[in-house]
Amino acid sequence: MAPRPHVPRRIDPRTVGLAVALALAVAALLHPTWTSRVARHDLTVVVDITTSMMVRDASIEGRPASRLDAAKRGLTDLIARIACGSRVALAVFSERRAFLLFEPVEVCSGYPAIAGTLDRLDWRMAWEGDSRISKGVADALEVAGSLDTDLVFVTDGHEAPPLRPDQPLWFPGGDGDAKRHGLLVGVGGDALSPIPKFDDDGHEVGFLAESDVPQDNRQGPPPSNAESRTGYNARNAPFGAEVARGNEHLSSLKQDYLEDLGRVTGLGYARLGRDDLAGAVARFARALPANAAADLRPLFGLAAFAALVLVYLVAPLAAVTVRRRRRGAPRSIASRGAPA
Amino acid sequence: MTDLLGGLAVRSPGLLILLLLAPLPLVLQPRKPSGFPALDGLPDDPVSTALDWAIRVAGVVALSALVLAAAGLQVGARTIERTGRGSHISLLIDRSGSMNDTFAGRTPEGGEESKSQAAKRLLDAFVARRPRDQIGIVGFSTAPMLVVPMTDRLDAVRAGIAAIDRPGLAFTDVGRGLAMALDQLEGDTGLASRSIVLVSDGAAVIDRKVQEALRNAFAKRPVNLYWLYLRSAGSPGIFAPPPPDKPDNPQVLPERHLNIFLGSLGQRYRAFEAENAEAVADAIAEIDKLEASEIRYRETLPNVDLAGVAYAVAVGALALIIAAKLLEVRIGNTDSHGRAA
Repeated sequence: MAPRPHVPRRIDPRTVGLAVALALAVAALLHPTWTSRVARHDLTVVVDITTSMMVRDASIEGRPASRLDAAKRGLTDLIARIACGSRVALAVFSERRAFLLFEPVEVCSGYPAIAGTLDRLDWRMAWEGDSRISKGVADALEVAGSLDTDLVFVTDGHEAPPLRPDQPLWFPGGDGDAKRHGLLVGVGGDALSPIPKFDDDGHEVGFLAESDVPQDNRQGPPPSNAESRTGYNARNAPFGAEVARGNEHLSSLKQDYLEDLGRVTGLGYARLGRDDLAGAVARFARALPANAAADLRPLFGLAAFAALVLVYLVAPLAAVTVRRRRRGAPRSIASRGAPA
Repeated sequence: MTDLLGGLAVRSPGLLILLLLAPLPLVLQPRKPSGFPALDGLPDDPVSTALDWAIRVAGVVALSALVLAAAGLQVGARTIERTGRGSHISLLIDRSGSMNDTFAGRTPEGGEESKSQAAKRLLDAFVARRPRDQIGIVGFSTAPMLVVPMTDRLDAVRAGIAAIDRPGLAFTDVGRGLAMALDQLEGDTGLASRSIVLVSDGAAVIDRKVQEALRNAFAKRPVNLYWLYLRSAGSPGIFAPPPPDKPDNPQVLPERHLNIFLGSLGQRYRAFEAENAEAVADAIAEIDKLEASEIRYRETLPNVDLAGVAYAVAVGALALIIAAKLLEVRIGNTDSHGRAA
């Protein structure tokens, strides 16, 4: 008997494929993760709930909505989008104060609670009718600072009553130099719109009329042009004798004013609906480091799947192709000389 | 997340299309073709046939398990009914300015604790002891405000309690606050006991119209009512009737008349009068005990990740296939494509 010719024992590629698939599946079982650094934010969100926020000149997905509803929707989206690990405190603004509802809550685990509270914000929570925005921003900055958070103040910028013309905007400890973090968010339309009016039981009864709101701030010294006004009397009528007329019963987004406020306080400005709120927060609020662990198991799982498909589909098909090709020039076992 | 059958769900349903490749092993086998011309001459061997099919099925299992795992197989959130301790509590908290004074009615100095600080500390401990409860917070002063909706996210509830010692507002409109707290409990249709815990250091006259509305609302479903009255030094208290020469009406003694009103609602009602932090602690412990009744409640279980299980199944199936592959008997000398060497 002829000695058996030496054939190098080659490893079957199919075995290799199966081994690779097994190795990848075992790797997936070990739950690999990839940790990346993401930016999280600690925010104190203050929402203006004064009556001017009930003006329906904002929009949600193209449909008209009140400024408050648009603000609620924008903030809910923001909270859904910022990185897990971020914390949000919520306050409402009315009169001249930011009234804190809750201290910072982690946004992912606390999402249902935060979104639920946002959804129930209502002008009826307001404790007074005034809307002294600049004082409110000053108070809100204090609240946000006490919680070591950055401010997101959502408002239409409508001061009621109007500011004293003789006093420039001023903030305790901030002449624009003090670098504060956070932003003012403007909401509302550019054109003047009527402000809904509510009766004592909270039912809407038309719109505010010119005589319903103070049109002019008559505290402090009269303006320099007062002498030219009708009925001016230095002692008895220093502001003139006429009833002040104006547009204070109508409201629009006071964008220039809010941008001024931002400059004085060192806060950024973004407009709801025009600017991407999450992007604005990333730009103006401090980015705190947080780890986000990405689950790599699907990657390993799919790679194992691909290896298996190679074994089950590609390898057998390749074998079939090779055999077909050889059919033209058959090289049978016999023709090559039977082994052994 | 897309729901599959039986409460199962996947995160990336798009990957499920790969399941179409899963039956491949039934048709094609990764076995090395053998140089042996034909098996037709061999007798039927049922054990071998069964083994052959087992290995094919293992292939299908491995492929399917890998796809399901990569797609993020999980059991979706579900609610189950349990019996245990727990209830739905609406905390109705006074945020008027006087809450920031001490029990002696002064502005706190040095290490002194204000009423709101004492309430904050003790309510926080109360919530921490009750992990199964659903709790909501309504703040009230000039107007009632929803602070935290009814939720099982107790971290948010504790964040709401943490804010109660912030500067308060002017008035104590307890009537509308009660209406909002009741409204907050109205949403749940579960079987848990429902309670309102009113924490305040004062009361005000409740408008007759509001009283009527409250009576009607309370008549609908039973609610346990607790009033924790933080009594400042010198105030007359909620139980004592006035001396005979003094008038006895809501304008003069709003606290006493709120107590009478709450008692007249026909609900289980307890009032606690606390003159100091220890008395507050006792009262809260008492409420904790009263709210300890066994109830049936629904618990929402979070998603359970099944991807790990699916990977384990895939590993098991693959191990079986590889074992079979390594036991392959080589008949004749053939290369990997079945050519004779």
